[in-house]
Amino acid sequence: MNFKNNLIKALIPIISILLALLTGALLITIIGGNPVEAYEYLLRGAFGSKNNIGETFVKATPLIFTSLAAAFAYKCGVFNLGGQGQFVMGAVASALIATTNNSLEGLPLIIVSLTAGTIAGGLWGMIPGILKITRGLNELIVSIMLNYVAILFMGYLYTAPLRNGSVPQTAAVRANLSRLMDGPRTHTGIIIAVVLAFGIHYFMFHTAAGFKLRAVGMNQIASFYNGFPVKRLMLISFIVSGAIAGLGGSIELHGTQNRLMSGFGDGYGFDGVAIALIAQLNPIGSLIVAYLFAVLRTGATTMQVGTGLPTAVIDIIQALIIVFAVAGSALTNMPKIKQVILKFSLASKKEED
Amino acid sequence: MSQDILKMENITKMFGDFYANKNINLTIREGEVHTLLGENGAGKSTLMNILVGLYHQTSGEIYLRGEHVQISSPRKAVKYGIGMVHQHFMLVEDMTVFENIILGTKHDKSIFINRDKLKKEILGLADRYGLKIEIDKTITEIPVGAQQRVEILKALYRGAEILILDEPTAVLTDVEVVGLFEIIRKLQSEKKSVVFISHKMREVLEISDRITILRSGESVKTLDKSEVDAHILASLMIGSELVTSDYEKVESQQDDLVNITNVSYNEQSKHNGLNQISLNLKKGEILGIAGVDGNGQSQLAQLFTGVIAPDKGDVYCQAIKVEKFKPQLFIEKGIAHIPEDRNKMGLIGNMSVKENLILKATETDHMSSAKGLFLNRKAIKEHAKEMQERFDIRCSSVEQESRNLSGGNQQKIVLARELNMNPNVLVAVHPTRGLDIGATRFVHDKMIEARDSGCGVVLISADIDEVLKLSSRIAVMFEGKIVGVYSGINPNIQEISMAMTGKVD
Amino acid sequence: MENIMNLPFLQELLLSTMRMATPLLIVALAELYSEKAGLVNIGLDGMMAFGALVGFLTSYITGNPYLGILAGGLGGIMVNMIYAVATIQLGAQQIVFGMAINLFAPALASFIYKAYFGISSTLAQATLMEPMAIPLLSEIPFIGKILFHHTIIVYIAYLLVPISYIFFEKTKAGLNFKAVGEFPKAAESLGINVYRQKYLACIICGLLAGIGGAYLTTAYVSTYSDGIVSGRGFIALSAVVFGRWMPTGVLFAALLFGFADSIQLRLQIINPETPYQLLAMIPYLSTLFALAFFGIKKSGPKANGQPYFKEER
Repeated sequence: MNFKNNLIKALIPIISILLALLTGALLITIIGGNPVEAYEYLLRGAFGSKNNIGETFVKATPLIFTSLAAAFAYKCGVFNLGGQGQFVMGAVASALIATTNNSLEGLPLIIVSLTAGTIAGGLWGMIPGILKITRGLNELIVSIMLNYVAILFMGYLYTAPLRNGSVPQTAAVRANLSRLMDGPRTHTGIIIAVVLAFGIHYFMFHTAAGFKLRAVGMNQIASFYNGFPVKRLMLISFIVSGAIAGLGGSIELHGTQNRLMSGFGDGYGFDGVAIALIAQLNPIGSLIVAYLFAVLRTGATTMQVGTGLPTAVIDIIQALIIVFAVAGSALTNMPKIKQVILKFSLASKKEED
Repeated sequence: MSQDILKMENITKMFGDFYANKNINLTIREGEVHTLLGENGAGKSTLMNILVGLYHQTSGEIYLRGEHVQISSPRKAVKYGIGMVHQHFMLVEDMTVFENIILGTKHDKSIFINRDKLKKEILGLADRYGLKIEIDKTITEIPVGAQQRVEILKALYRGAEILILDEPTAVLTDVEVVGLFEIIRKLQSEKKSVVFISHKMREVLEISDRITILRSGESVKTLDKSEVDAHILASLMIGSELVTSDYEKVESQQDDLVNITNVSYNEQSKHNGLNQISLNLKKGEILGIAGVDGNGQSQLAQLFTGVIAPDKGDVYCQAIKVEKFKPQLFIEKGIAHIPEDRNKMGLIGNMSVKENLILKATETDHMSSAKGLFLNRKAIKEHAKEMQERFDIRCSSVEQESRNLSGGNQQKIVLARELNMNPNVLVAVHPTRGLDIGATRFVHDKMIEARDSGCGVVLISADIDEVLKLSSRIAVMFEGKIVGVYSGINPNIQEISMAMTGKVD
Repeated sequence: MENIMNLPFLQELLLSTMRMATPLLIVALAELYSEKAGLVNIGLDGMMAFGALVGFLTSYITGNPYLGILAGGLGGIMVNMIYAVATIQLGAQQIVFGMAINLFAPALASFIYKAYFGISSTLAQATLMEPMAIPLLSEIPFIGKILFHHTIIVYIAYLLVPISYIFFEKTKAGLNFKAVGEFPKAAESLGINVYRQKYLACIICGLLAGIGGAYLTTAYVSTYSDGIVSGRGFIALSAVVFGRWMPTGVLFAALLFGFADSIQLRLQIINPETPYQLLAMIPYLSTLFALAFFGIKKSGPKANGQPYFKEER
């Protein structure tokens, strides 16, 4: 039974992606381009060389973190749209530790820095959480406002106190995450990301704590009646979600960007939300969809150079995936449609018996 | 002799296979107060919803002043002069009385609200019917009795000739009830007809001209006020068959499990509160709580399970005073709960049957290792299969989402889970609601079993038959109070059913 | 510091405040109508971006910035209809779908721009809307230039405030409209067509949000670039909260945020060494404090954000 259900759940993102790619092809044809050629360049840009493949992993890493953060939060019924801010604050904390004067170097520096980033993200995520459980404030607006505050705060830091040189940016961090091999920029961050994804999946579906968090996300009242500490669990989901995003920010700083500057982390927050929604809030699914997004991103420039088509096409395709995925989700949740699906799954089960 | 203004002929309403109304006949005369009397589930609300256009009858006709009518929508009902004051008011809280009254109306062609003119009209109307209102206050600022007057005025403003009042005294203080009755008398004098829905004997006897009793979806009898007294009504409402029980009633001589002393909660509310109640639950007994829904039973159940804390008074669990009220703690004390709304309170609909079965047991050694760090999937599944067998839970697999099961089977999941924890106390609220005869029997058997193994069972049910069948002792609740405790062995049905309607001799 | 104290500077500042507040005001009013009918629409940024593009393109092709504004409004409606169908008919979660719009509409706008103009670094120039001075009133010393020397959109935007106030407080239609966002079941029981009102709200919201976006590319400047919206949609969201769901409150909030924006820009010019970011935080922090201070008591229409399903018969 569960298998049938999961099958349907997995179909939604797959169909959405296919539909989006089709629509994209249509759009390309409309403006006079050749979709087959365009997609060819896209794939070449993503997989054509060792460096290119490496780039896909580089681009996927931060997306995995922000999408895991979003998925974790929503699974627990909490609308954390503050991933961007939490990501940035994680990087800020790391910058404070890794670019200023202290005795830490090398691996110890990285460990302390990443921990600091995780904690910073968790704290930043805690703010909307506390406001929600003590004052009943809608976490949506609070978390979005905090995004802006975080980005501006980061801007303040690299413009003034942490500025290094004439250009507004911080100094480079004193230690970097090691590269996985010569050539491509892929760094150990991707490994941490993948491990984290599996870890979260395990936590969600194989531990009692994850079970309770999911229960709260599905039915707060019943969870309360069955003895779950609902408020505490909600706060935990805010904190953990923020921490994941914060860790992502630190890793991006130490792995790719190396210094804070204008545009750091741009768009990862909301893209992460999109990915989580497309992947139906499944951690492993988020891994896959995040990688897909990264592939699209990496191949986009090559496509633009090769065919003259604007990279905006890729943006649209990505956006269409989410539109279709969300609409598809809503559609399958409508009572009438659910009946049809139920009949389908029950009928097939009877055949199996 | 006033004429018949409304006639509902052979009205039947089915939901699937279930008869909510079956061949009901009802006539209302001009200027009379006609009471619809019946227990919960008797079909009163359904019938009225048909009258106000919210439901369509499966079969049967409606005649208004002799003419055949189709009441296809609320708008039509208003056009025909039928207005209803629901139990749960349809008032926009942040808007004023005035705004609520004129909402959705078009009494003149202007797009602007002519406040002065309309207010004058409304105040004139209010005056005529003796309805005191503060027209510029918001709904949140006025007391419940005043809110009801606004609802009545809303209907009158829209030209209602027939006014349906659904359990109107449920939310009123005694003083306000007097005021309401004055208003009803005024309405009568203005040739309006009032359909009065209630289960409260005292009021019914005082205000009605005629009374129609509904039971199990059918109209039992229509009586004139001169023909009735409390006893007659009580027996007609409940049915005077002697209830034969196959179960041996056991009166417990054992210790108290739970002792509730002088507890009040939300004292002001007659229908959502507890008023200085004292009750004890013994080991090895079934304590039945009888009473019409909405007399504080929900709150009593919540008190027993730690969902609410008393405003005043104390609760003792096995002689130890309870300091903190949280469901978590009560579950640890061994108190199990079959809640009144299984979908809202008992089950996580999107989770599977097997997951719902272990909702309270995720950290036990049986279902996991290291206190919940590693959920033992195999153990969980096996446990679920065992429960499925033992409790006859009909589902195609334990992996199925519980929301896809029928109501009866959902209830069995809850039952299985709660009984499996070998509780000291079992609080069961409407445990057999929606279950067929076989399943009901099964649940009752299990409850007797639990009792026999020393469990104290609190059975809260609006189904008096069920209470009479199983209980060792019966406590009757009315308006937040315990109005009587009776023996469950050879129970005095008359006394109990009278107590349920508030009339205690 | 003496620079701030002199009159011309102050005049410039207030003039700029009014201009910068205008798009915020229009879009905040768009959201106000939507939320009053119970629909939380966070896709404002997306609608603005699309309106900006459509408006710019129309103005560029026809040479008429006023047509651009109109086209922008229509573009906004088109985009919001997707939101409308998804949330009203399918019952999709409003927040989630608003997010989807925010990701989709700007991408589409960017795509259309690049498809039409190609990829180059120089921005295409369309006709800039000219300010229309109101005779006599614009002659008043000091405030004349501030209040009465603007493009027509600015006047319309500020006029919308009293119009909205009258609609919500003085008309029957406005009362019925509000009921839909407060207690849709009650509204339905009184014969109000809840679905229809919600669709109407979406049309108004799309129209105004699109116009707000078009303003940015036809009156504020006459070019289009990705990111022209720069999060104004979310500021508009917070303006609705800060303004306590009242047209006058929203006006006040928009002016406040516009002022913060203006002053922060000017301070940057005067003193390029001062980090402006701390000042730029003002709108966001003040929204947070407003929310925390007022709490949930005045948190908008009661049924805001909840999907509505008509009952079975």
